[in-house]
Amino acid sequence: MELIWDVLRGIGISESVFQFMLVNAILGLSIYVTLYTGMFSLANAGFMAIGAYVGVICTQTLGWPLWAGLIAGMVAAGVIALPLGIPVLRLKDIYLAIATIGFGEIVRIVILNFDQIATDITGDRVRLTRGALGIKGIPKVTETWHLVLFLVLAGYFLVRLHRSRFGRAMAAIRQDENVAATMGINPVYHKTAVFVLSAMLAGAAGAFSGHLTRIILPTDFGFDRVVDILAFAVLGGTSTWVGPIVGALILTALPEMMRFLKQYNQIFNGLILLTVIIYLPGGVVDPAGWRKLWRRLRGKKPPAPAPALPGGEPS
Amino acid sequence: MNAFVRRFLSVVIVFSLVAVSLPAIVLAQGGDEEVRMGDWESPTPENLPDEIPIGVLFGLSGGVAVYGEVQQRAVQLAVDEINESGYLGDSVLVPFFEDSGGSGEQAIAAMTKVIEEDEVVAVIGPTLSSSAFSADPIAQENGIPVLGVSNTANGITDMGEFVFRDSLPEAAVIPGTIAQAAEILGLERVGVLYGNDDDFTYSGYEVFVEALEDNEIEITTEETFARGDVDFNAQLTNIIATEPDAIVVSALAQEGVPIIVQARQLGFTGPIIGGNGFNSPAIVAQAGDAANGVIVGAAWNIANQNPLSAAFIEAFEEAYDAQPDQFAAQAYTGTWLIATAIRRADSADPADIRDALAEIEDFPTPLGSFSFDEDRNPVHEPVAQIIVDGVYEILSEETAAAAYGEE
Amino acid sequence: MDITQQIVNAIWLGSVYSLFALGYALVFSVLGLLNLAHSANFMWGAYIGLFFVLQMGFPVLLAAPLAIIGGGVIGILLDRVAFAPLRRRNAPRIAQLISSIGAATFMVALAQIAFSAQPQNFPLDQIPNQTIEGLPFRITPVQVIIFAAALLLMAFLHILVMRTKQGQAMRTVAFDERIAALLGVPVDAIFRLTFFLAGAMAGAAGMLYGLAYNSITPFMGSAVALKGLTVIVLGGLGSIEGAVLGGFVVAGLEVFSIALGGSDFRDAIIFLLLFIVLVVRPQGLLGEASTERA
Repeated sequence: MELIWDVLRGIGISESVFQFMLVNAILGLSIYVTLYTGMFSLANAGFMAIGAYVGVICTQTLGWPLWAGLIAGMVAAGVIALPLGIPVLRLKDIYLAIATIGFGEIVRIVILNFDQIATDITGDRVRLTRGALGIKGIPKVTETWHLVLFLVLAGYFLVRLHRSRFGRAMAAIRQDENVAATMGINPVYHKTAVFVLSAMLAGAAGAFSGHLTRIILPTDFGFDRVVDILAFAVLGGTSTWVGPIVGALILTALPEMMRFLKQYNQIFNGLILLTVIIYLPGGVVDPAGWRKLWRRLRGKKPPAPAPALPGGEPS
Repeated sequence: MNAFVRRFLSVVIVFSLVAVSLPAIVLAQGGDEEVRMGDWESPTPENLPDEIPIGVLFGLSGGVAVYGEVQQRAVQLAVDEINESGYLGDSVLVPFFEDSGGSGEQAIAAMTKVIEEDEVVAVIGPTLSSSAFSADPIAQENGIPVLGVSNTANGITDMGEFVFRDSLPEAAVIPGTIAQAAEILGLERVGVLYGNDDDFTYSGYEVFVEALEDNEIEITTEETFARGDVDFNAQLTNIIATEPDAIVVSALAQEGVPIIVQARQLGFTGPIIGGNGFNSPAIVAQAGDAANGVIVGAAWNIANQNPLSAAFIEAFEEAYDAQPDQFAAQAYTGTWLIATAIRRADSADPADIRDALAEIEDFPTPLGSFSFDEDRNPVHEPVAQIIVDGVYEILSEETAAAAYGEE
Repeated sequence: MDITQQIVNAIWLGSVYSLFALGYALVFSVLGLLNLAHSANFMWGAYIGLFFVLQMGFPVLLAAPLAIIGGGVIGILLDRVAFAPLRRRNAPRIAQLISSIGAATFMVALAQIAFSAQPQNFPLDQIPNQTIEGLPFRITPVQVIIFAAALLLMAFLHILVMRTKQGQAMRTVAFDERIAALLGVPVDAIFRLTFFLAGAMAGAAGMLYGLAYNSITPFMGSAVALKGLTVIVLGGLGSIEGAVLGGFVVAGLEVFSIALGGSDFRDAIIFLLLFIVLVVRPQGLLGEASTERA
């Protein structure tokens, strides 16, 4: 075990970095389940914010243990996702993406002004989210094994899900929602359920992350975060649940491993993202993509355009 | 693609040329100064290792880099001066610069890296208060002193006895400025504009409101903006419609410039009052004539009366061909504070450095005579300035008359 | 409340938003994808203009067309590097979204190395920003220029897309690439043209934005990226007139939510509206109700 840490530290990955890699892996899974079902939803940052704030308020204000805060954060995110999902999931592709980004921004602004609104309504001075100042002094109680355990459980759950009737329905909806409906699959039910699942995963990531960073601020959950999460999933590949995890691990570790590049770090970050996605458009975890790349490198012409890769074709 | 490569290469070449020529310039400059930074009275340290690693964490990527870049330059300048002057005897400071970005995650990673990997004995930074709340506990747990040079939020040094800062919070600066401005200009009613989604601008706003209440100044209206905004016409139109005597603004220089310019374009000629965020030559350089009559309460007197401050400004301009702002002055001072603690302790042990740092009292710096109080917060005189004809001047009856005299 | 002035403020802000959104909308209309590097293209346009004014001593009027051309060239480069390779490989569209993120990261970081993060500005004496006298409201010549530029560029794009052969080809490609190719439309050349035009629009917007607010940083694009997205979605994705209308609607809502005392909830109001428009009328205010695109 020590040896593994030494190796990781040697390439610039400390335990703290590793923990963020795992949190981001959860976020990758959160966007994966919706993409896999053909929904281009980008509400993850918003749900992450809800999970973080609810989780932290439960542990800080109410004195609950971490696991209880975690569950509360996940439930809160899920409960909000349910009524939101029904109107929003009628939208497709880029429209869904924008609507869900808008949701995330609204969440952020509500958190920012929550104390003010609550004070105006109740008449008492409320100090819960603390607006722009954020909630600080959160003890760092998330441990690496919590995150590993959670990911293992989530992975196991997803494997079981994929093999179930529900999982086949998800894939069918991605291929063609209308055809799926004629086969007796209820798209509204399945899509809403997946949306709630995605929200709960993001909420869990938020609750864990709040107890790692020791401070949570509304600005932590903005548009930049949305873009990051999307990149995890697409760079990793959305054809299997392993892809987004790998994508998150790579994209979180990369800037840390390249700290020696100093001011050129971001330049190379951009270049690597660009190069990888161009040569492996289906993501890093996509055997077909590697095979094609291998043939190209050996100078052979790739076969006629392959059928569209799984993972839907949003946007 | 080729154009990019060429552009890129020329940038690399220019940068390396600058990097090579810098130390030479500083060297040429070092010897014949009359005022010298540092406590040269104390015995020259003898028990130090040859190289003393210190961590320097600033936000160097993303929007925060506007401040982080300047801070990094100021620290580099101070480190060069310290090493070339033999302030630490035969030992040299070796700075490990790391990007703490704009998020808690990046700050934690950077702090962990300098402490675990580079085994630094002290840390300067990080740039943002929010990053400090994420990263400073790591230094505290490892017993490494950390000195914030731009953290102004409440509760920074409550994180533990290893956490220091040399940046005066708005609460130490604004009440005096408001009281002075109220007296000289006879303010009765003011409009308030602030950023409501940023911890710096929001806490500045809270301090302003309290100071205004203490001076029995009425607030005509409060307007907010969000981080990244550049157009403030709508908010300013609202404020100006209430006919205030002055507009009070809690913002950083980046928003400050367009606020000042747009307020003047909308016909407001009265005083515009800001805090630490307005203490930057960028305000004058970018707002031009519109900046006249802007009142700035700040931790550092940019108006240049203190000889150490003048020497710092000169050295900075010579090294970087740019004017320093308050962030630079505080980062520069912070580096000298750390070096002084090491010199006085004659030890590179983090705990000894911490103790020596805590004892710093009445130390002459570009910020003025500097001390840490028992909570490791800075104690020195803040200053109220007014911009007259593009120059920062100390706020007084005369300078205020010079700015507003004709009306 | 000074209602006249607030109306002027709204019109002015609306021109700024529409200017940014035009290029964004153009790329979307033809490629059916969001180009997240558009805001970086916009930023580079501002720096190119600034470079010619500060380093070459050009007057602003001469630097502006150079910024526009420079922006266009960057647009073409962007296509070559980030989009064309993926098109050739029939990659899923979402991959192009990611490559545009990579390109944007690269371009912003390069700008930071080339120009530093410190805000730069055009020489103050070169900008006509003295308030025009004798009007019942306050406005500067720069603001008038930008308003006119937004309308002119919209008219130009509209004519180009609707009335010219190239425009027809662009619309055919937008409808279906394969059919366009079968009809003998040089698809790749059309993509290049589109990216050139969108980049030129970004260059023009960057330059004018730089003049309007006179603070240019490598990160100036990120402040407008999300707003631009809101504008084009509200107006109807891919619609040129929609981008302009969306710009004015968003600006009007912002200004009047502030004027009526709600500056805390300004952005929440915008996104709430966006939300409602999307759910009720997903094609946006002026978008065509087609399920093909999207």
